[in-house]
Amino acid sequence: MGRYIIRRLLQAIPLLLLLSIFMFALIHLLPGGPEAILVNPNMDAEGRKALRASLGLDDPLPIQYLKWLANAVRGDFGFSFFTNQPVSTVIAERFPPTIELFLLALLLSLILAIVLGTISAYRQGRFIDYAITTVAYFGISMPIFLLGLLMQEIFSRRLQWLPPSGITTAGMSYDAFNGFLDHMLHVAMPMLVLAITFTARWSRYMRSSMLDVTKQDYMRTARAKGLATTPLLVRHALRNAVIPLITVVAIDFGSVAGGATITEGVFAWPGMGQLFLRSLDQRDFPVLLAILMLSAFFVILSNLLADILYAIMDPRIRYS
Amino acid sequence: MMDTPIEKEREDELEALLEVTPALAQKRRSQARIILDRFLRNRTATIGASFLILLFLFCFIGPFLTGHTNPNQPNLLAPDAAPSLAYPFGADDVGRDLLARAAVGGQVSLLVGLASMLVAILLGTAIGAIAGYYGKLLDNILMRITDVFLAVPTYLLLFVLSASFTNGSVYSIIVLISIFGWTTAARLVRGEFLALKEREYVMAARTVGAKDFRLMFRHILPNAIGPIIVNATLLVGQNIILESVLSYFGFGVQAPFPSWGSLISDGQGQINTDPKLVFIPGILIFLTVLSCNLVGDGLRDAFDPHMTER
Repeated sequence: MGRYIIRRLLQAIPLLLLLSIFMFALIHLLPGGPEAILVNPNMDAEGRKALRASLGLDDPLPIQYLKWLANAVRGDFGFSFFTNQPVSTVIAERFPPTIELFLLALLLSLILAIVLGTISAYRQGRFIDYAITTVAYFGISMPIFLLGLLMQEIFSRRLQWLPPSGITTAGMSYDAFNGFLDHMLHVAMPMLVLAITFTARWSRYMRSSMLDVTKQDYMRTARAKGLATTPLLVRHALRNAVIPLITVVAIDFGSVAGGATITEGVFAWPGMGQLFLRSLDQRDFPVLLAILMLSAFFVILSNLLADILYAIMDPRIRYS
Repeated sequence: MMDTPIEKEREDELEALLEVTPALAQKRRSQARIILDRFLRNRTATIGASFLILLFLFCFIGPFLTGHTNPNQPNLLAPDAAPSLAYPFGADDVGRDLLARAAVGGQVSLLVGLASMLVAILLGTAIGAIAGYYGKLLDNILMRITDVFLAVPTYLLLFVLSASFTNGSVYSIIVLISIFGWTTAARLVRGEFLALKEREYVMAARTVGAKDFRLMFRHILPNAIGPIIVNATLLVGQNIILESVLSYFGFGVQAPFPSWGSLISDGQGQINTDPKLVFIPGILIFLTVLSCNLVGDGLRDAFDPHMTER
């Protein structure tokens, strides 16, 4: 197992390298470099040239790439064109809110998907199955930003239960408990939006893999020896039924990250997604590149994690 | 179930033969017929299909019924008109008919959804067929390229690409969305080809002297068409969502062509005063995607009866 993990990690290196070349080229193809956006009306052509040179944008692209790579492998992703802070500082600032939103939504949608999928499969063809299926179809067919706008309209404008956006109420100072409460109220809507979208998708997979499992012989045997429904489902069915779901979740990891970006945009959530959109607007190349590489790295890592989880859940799978 | 493939000349001979025995011709036609019957028996899928037809009628004929065919024609006598007979959906703050805007926006969204589906399916089928049929190095290279696409969050890459390669025209958006749509089709087709190329009928056709190209597209592909059609249907919905997301963040189709996504993006500023500016196109997107998903799943069940029990 240890060898397998090391081999997989080594295999990821050429993929990351390939990706970095691809992304680097892509980003430098963006029309209007940072000097066009770093507007200073007093700057003449001379000054603009000097600015380009100071940002290291005058070297040929391959040289720029190699310079970037040499620093990046040492964990130095350069400086933001706009704030002049190290990229790692900028990202470190934005990372916690994103990971919070991401993990909360992931956890919630996994629990919901497993529970709803299991109920739906166990009650196949009954009313509750149709009800869950209908809701799942709605969730799958709803663009994530539209769901966000809809929930903002209902829960903050109409009902006024939840704050429409942001991470805390601006200009308020709370004690620790109320501050936490305030934060939770802010996190509720973006988290729900993300979770609903992915619960809808994953509960369908859970339902069909649960249906496969319940048709197995060992399920009939367990039932025949008199096992009650709950331990039957939880101990015998669930563990086997969850395995296919792991793959789907791992594959969807990238789209959860994408969905988080959109959600952050809609709810003004000060995370990586917002940073990404802003950096794209400002042509902040170092920050953009770092975010793209970081997300690619996490997607590759999640795939590896899924394969390892696979082996843990299903002892028949052995890697060598 | 499967007809034994033969050379074209032989096939033509058989065609003549078939007229002699109509029972055979009947049987041949019935494969499509069976699928259609199975599809029509599926109530939700039929509802989805009917809604899609209604939607097309609405987008292309709707504006003529109210007489407001120009979605950008302001009417200063009717700003913020409430829904009425002349303005079934009402009007916006400068009196532009919202029904006409929704219908014309729908034309753009449907065009983007359908056209990018077509490009993506053609591209994906070609790549998947080549990878699956030839295997080995070619397969390896093509699948690694697919991996690269899978390793990046689609939306992030899509935003970067749209900022650099599109100029807001409908065609550039279609190309951009197709670039992302082909991977699923490619992997599906590759999988089908890997399984089908070992079948006896393919070997039989090869023995009679059929060339690679003919084997791939005349013999193997027709047997892999089911999953491709299903994927195509689902892809239309996905592409419409992608387009709306791009437009919502300002990277999509630019004025003067309003798509549903850009209508939402335009209306968002007035969501407090006039939420219908956002929610009319929003509901239309939702219903279209829902119908595509229902039809796609209905087709999947119709093509693959073993799945129906699920």
